[in-house]
Amino acid sequence: MHKILIANRGEIAVRVIRACRELGISPVAIYSECDRTALHVRLADEAYPIGPSAPRESYLRADRVIDAVRRSRADAVHPGYGFLAENAEFAAAVGAAGATFIGPSPEAIAAMGSKTAARAAAARAGVPVVPGTADPLPHEMPDAEIAETASRIGYPLLVKAVAGGGGKGMRTVSDPADLSGAIASARSEAGAAFGDAAVYIERRITRPRHIEVQLLGDAHGTVVPFVERECSIQRRHQKVVEETPSVAVAPALRRAITSAAAAVARAVGYTNAGTIEFLLDESGAFYFLEMNTRLQVEHPVTEMVTGLDLVRWQIRIARGERLDVDPERLLTPNGHAIECRIYAEDPDNNFLPSPGRIQHLRVPGGPGIRDDSGATAGLDVPIFYDPMISKLVAWAEDRPLAIARMRRALREYVVAGIRTTVPFFQWLLAQPAFAEGAFHTTYLDELLRSRNGHPFAEPTPELEQLAAVAAAIDAALSPSSSGAAPASDGRNGSATRWRAQARAEGLGGV
Amino acid sequence: MQYEVDIGGRRRQVSVTRAGDRFAVDVDGGTKLVDVARIDAHTLSLIVDGVWPIDVTLAPAAAGGDLTITVGGIPIPVTLNGRRRWGRKEDGGGASGPQRLAAPMPGKVVRVLVAPGDAVRARQPVVVVEAMKMENELRAGRDGAVAEVHVREGMSVEAGALLVVIQ
Repeated sequence: MHKILIANRGEIAVRVIRACRELGISPVAIYSECDRTALHVRLADEAYPIGPSAPRESYLRADRVIDAVRRSRADAVHPGYGFLAENAEFAAAVGAAGATFIGPSPEAIAAMGSKTAARAAAARAGVPVVPGTADPLPHEMPDAEIAETASRIGYPLLVKAVAGGGGKGMRTVSDPADLSGAIASARSEAGAAFGDAAVYIERRITRPRHIEVQLLGDAHGTVVPFVERECSIQRRHQKVVEETPSVAVAPALRRAITSAAAAVARAVGYTNAGTIEFLLDESGAFYFLEMNTRLQVEHPVTEMVTGLDLVRWQIRIARGERLDVDPERLLTPNGHAIECRIYAEDPDNNFLPSPGRIQHLRVPGGPGIRDDSGATAGLDVPIFYDPMISKLVAWAEDRPLAIARMRRALREYVVAGIRTTVPFFQWLLAQPAFAEGAFHTTYLDELLRSRNGHPFAEPTPELEQLAAVAAAIDAALSPSSSGAAPASDGRNGSATRWRAQARAEGLGGV
Repeated sequence: MQYEVDIGGRRRQVSVTRAGDRFAVDVDGGTKLVDVARIDAHTLSLIVDGVWPIDVTLAPAAAGGDLTITVGGIPIPVTLNGRRRWGRKEDGGGASGPQRLAAPMPGKVVRVLVAPGDAVRARQPVVVVEAMKMENELRAGRDGAVAEVHVREGMSVEAGALLVVIQ
């Protein structure tokens, strides 16, 4: 394997490029119109344009991606996550083009990609599943019949997209009167996001934790599970903080849940990286939720506590290598790791997307800090894709130290020009319930509701005064202000250069 | 140099004079001595009154305002010399006067949940705009009645486009 085409963009494309470099493999990028200046393009050895900015016209166009595979003569394709990563037809098309798909077989993707089929597979492997419909709701099913099915499963319930992920195409229904509306809007969102509008219904477990198990499987029949990740901190069903290990998982439960995950993977002949998600209820019982047949966004926390490079292993497994790792090591975390997903969203305006140009970026560093990002200063965060700009990861010997380290890193993180969720994380990580690990998948939504829109980032009078001072100084130094003293000594010489630069940047023309 | 600086509805008179290699800034009835060093095109490092180091980023505001100054991780909208700024503060809606709900980002209108004449409550969703693959509910800032609806389902809107007016 000499050349890998990365069928993705953003931070995950950068992540895969890094793994390629470390293995001496040449990375190939693809890009849409608005991604011409993206970091993943600039870091690759070759870059191929694949169409307009809208995902359906570029990153979701399997034909154009395959064309880039042929033109670049790449011998393998890494799909990242999202876009075509869990598309069995795309995986098959890569094979048909003579390249290796770095992921599971098209059959395994198809088997686990349908949530209803995956639930059946888990049940066959003897793993408990959340009660719900065995099949997608037929489109022509009358409302009365749907209502009857729903009441048999029991309220509150979830309407979920069969092809779903990331909370898209999912609705919670507590009142039977809301059911048909929820199904309609879930279908519409699922159709737009996944090109498949099918939905099903399952019971909503109250106050569950989201616990998931990373797996690797090689082509020689070995499947190894990793220590669990806890992803219960979610906003509107989207993970925002992930950590490992979970405070709720004692060694005996770890044995049970990781064995169950491996059993499901073995039952479908799974290879490469995948993750099995479970719900853990308040009594400590767990239920299979779904399998993600790809690398997860939150894979870095697992890497931090096990020392393994999951992307490197994905590539090695795709090359046919054996998983010669000690399974005990993967179940024995070294320290604790936490990830915060930094989004281009305005937490003080209902988390609305905040696309735009990043004017200034200061990324934290130092002991135990890792920032997986595709962002650079001067880059526009486009409106077309997921607004995540970075994954900030903190590792330390134990959980309290990892939290302290994350809070320190968040203080250092400066993203100017767009709004981000950094101030939100500063608040969240200071919550007593977070420190205690006393949360569940609806904890954050409940907590946010109780804040009633109170701002996360509220300037103190002192900071407002400082902003006024800075605005006035900036104006005084701008080229159009005649009152500034002429340069004379060395210090003012730097002020002159500064004015020249301000002019060049079109800044401060006030 | 004398400037009028407007932050969060409060107007300040700020005067800046050179004081050796620093700036003397008169603000809020006191004088601050500020050492200034440029870090990059948008960022200044200030040391205020000789001891307090703090980075300040100045960028043109996203929503058609004047400047956004980021300090201590907090973005602060700033208007200089009384230039009109319109953005979150206005469209957030006060207790009186019409609320002009504008699109905070470019996107596609997927649902319009109100019609002219409808009564709405504060925080009630009125328009759903899809951007960055998510459906975003835009909510009324206050109780009132819908006076105007400027968009229909399926329309693409730019950031700042007027969507709905609530009286």
